Amino acid sequence: MSEKERVRGRILPREKGAAPLDVVIGVMAFLAALALGASMLANRQAEGWREGLSGRLTVQILQPDHPTAKRDMQTETKAALDILRDTPGILTITEMSDADAAKLVEPWLGTDALVKDLPLPRLIDATIEPGAHVNFAELQTRLQTVAPDSNVDDHTRWIARLQGLANTIIYAAYAVLLLIALATAAAVSFATRAGLEAHHDIVALLHQMGAHSGFIARAFEWHYLVSTFAASAVGAGFAAVTFLLAGGLEFAGVEAVPFLPPLGLNPQELAWLLAVPVVSGLIAWVTARLSVLAALREIY
Amino acid sequence: MIRFENVGMRYGPGPEVLRDVTFQLEPGTFTFLTGPSGAGKSTLLKLLYLAEPPSRGLITIFGTDLATARRSAFPALRRRIGVVFQDFRLLSHLSAFDNVALPLRLAGRKPEDYAHDVEELLNWVGLGDRMNAKPPTLSGGEQQRVAIARAVVGQPDLLLADEPTGNVDPEIAQRLIRLFGELNRLGTTVLIATHDRSLIERARAREMRLVDGRLVELRRA
Repeated sequence: MSEKERVRGRILPREKGAAPLDVVIGVMAFLAALALGASMLANRQAEGWREGLSGRLTVQILQPDHPTAKRDMQTETKAALDILRDTPGILTITEMSDADAAKLVEPWLGTDALVKDLPLPRLIDATIEPGAHVNFAELQTRLQTVAPDSNVDDHTRWIARLQGLANTIIYAAYAVLLLIALATAAAVSFATRAGLEAHHDIVALLHQMGAHSGFIARAFEWHYLVSTFAASAVGAGFAAVTFLLAGGLEFAGVEAVPFLPPLGLNPQELAWLLAVPVVSGLIAWVTARLSVLAALREIY
Repeated sequence: MIRFENVGMRYGPGPEVLRDVTFQLEPGTFTFLTGPSGAGKSTLLKLLYLAEPPSRGLITIFGTDLATARRSAFPALRRRIGVVFQDFRLLSHLSAFDNVALPLRLAGRKPEDYAHDVEELLNWVGLGDRMNAKPPTLSGGEQQRVAIARAVVGQPDLLLADEPTGNVDPEIAQRLIRLFGELNRLGTTVLIATHDRSLIERARAREMRLVDGRLVELRRA
């Protein structure tokens, strides 16, 4: 043994039988990383929905209730198109033909000849310049002067609903993360107490020889910081592999879970999973330190 | 420097183990503490090395009144005291070298500073060739010598030893007593609790005897 090795003996012996704690922490880190990944996916999805819908508006011009009403839908639509063209911030305007409108109702009503007799509204689809602000209320008022039975749909209702759904997923993931953090802290606290109990003679001797509480706490906190970081890194690693596999399946054209948005994380999002071992290591560090200091306060 | 005034000690609701103990240890003195088993020698040592608070009375260590001192001052006081425990209390996962070096590590000294001192001391107690051995592989006598080396390595102001020659042959015992004497000459106050009459006779030092928890001064140095 070299001199360097001889004088660097660890104050605490290597723990035996700590594997169950490592497994618990590894599994919790896996779940935490899944929750974190899910929150990022939900966030990205909500962003996608917002971008997809918030850049457009639809104008509906309804047929008059009374067939005898002396109004011409063609003229009203033309006037509405003129108003839209004059509105700053509108990028493109597309008038949907009767055939397009019939296609929209086809899944519900079929292609029956009767459909042609239905009072289908005229639809105008418009896209808004990115970053431009369009006053929808004012636009609606102006449109109603030329087409009394028209309305503007800026999809706010849908965006709000989808945003609500995404927020629910995100907050649920945060709640899961918080619960896992609490469970990690409890498990490490329990293990530290057990470790203190097992090494009581060493702790008592160091205390007796004049070791400061901080010196003794460091021996424990370092041990739990390293072992928790290692166990969590393995758990988070498995979660990263899970996301990579899900992304790989989609890339290969296999839909991992029907109806759900893509489950693959991009490299930047995967890097965020590194936060799981770092944060759980810190939780272990703080918990171990507080547990040891509390236990030492009980000794004279 | 060390003062006990009317100190009494009981564990929980039990009887008093020490009663009205009053004495003083001047700096640089050498004292034996004797008495039959169960007389309270180990308890008195525990009070001296700040392992337990007294049930009553006043204890002053290095001029600090323990009753009024802040707990945060205790580690610094403890580091000035070297203790040879009766059961050695070596850390079984550390080598003899690391066990002896422990007080120096706690004092914040670097391995490169203390390695030479520790090796020299281990040679002096006859364990030069056992430096890397772990305590479970050492004999009782060897463990005792490691415990003594650990207690003296930091040249403490007060050295307390509980039956320090109980497990060694007479030749080694004499060598260890010479070590304590050497330390005492350098200014360390030494208090040794022992049954070994021959050791006491040869050293011709002050002797305090505990009988039934009370202290009787037998011989002044």
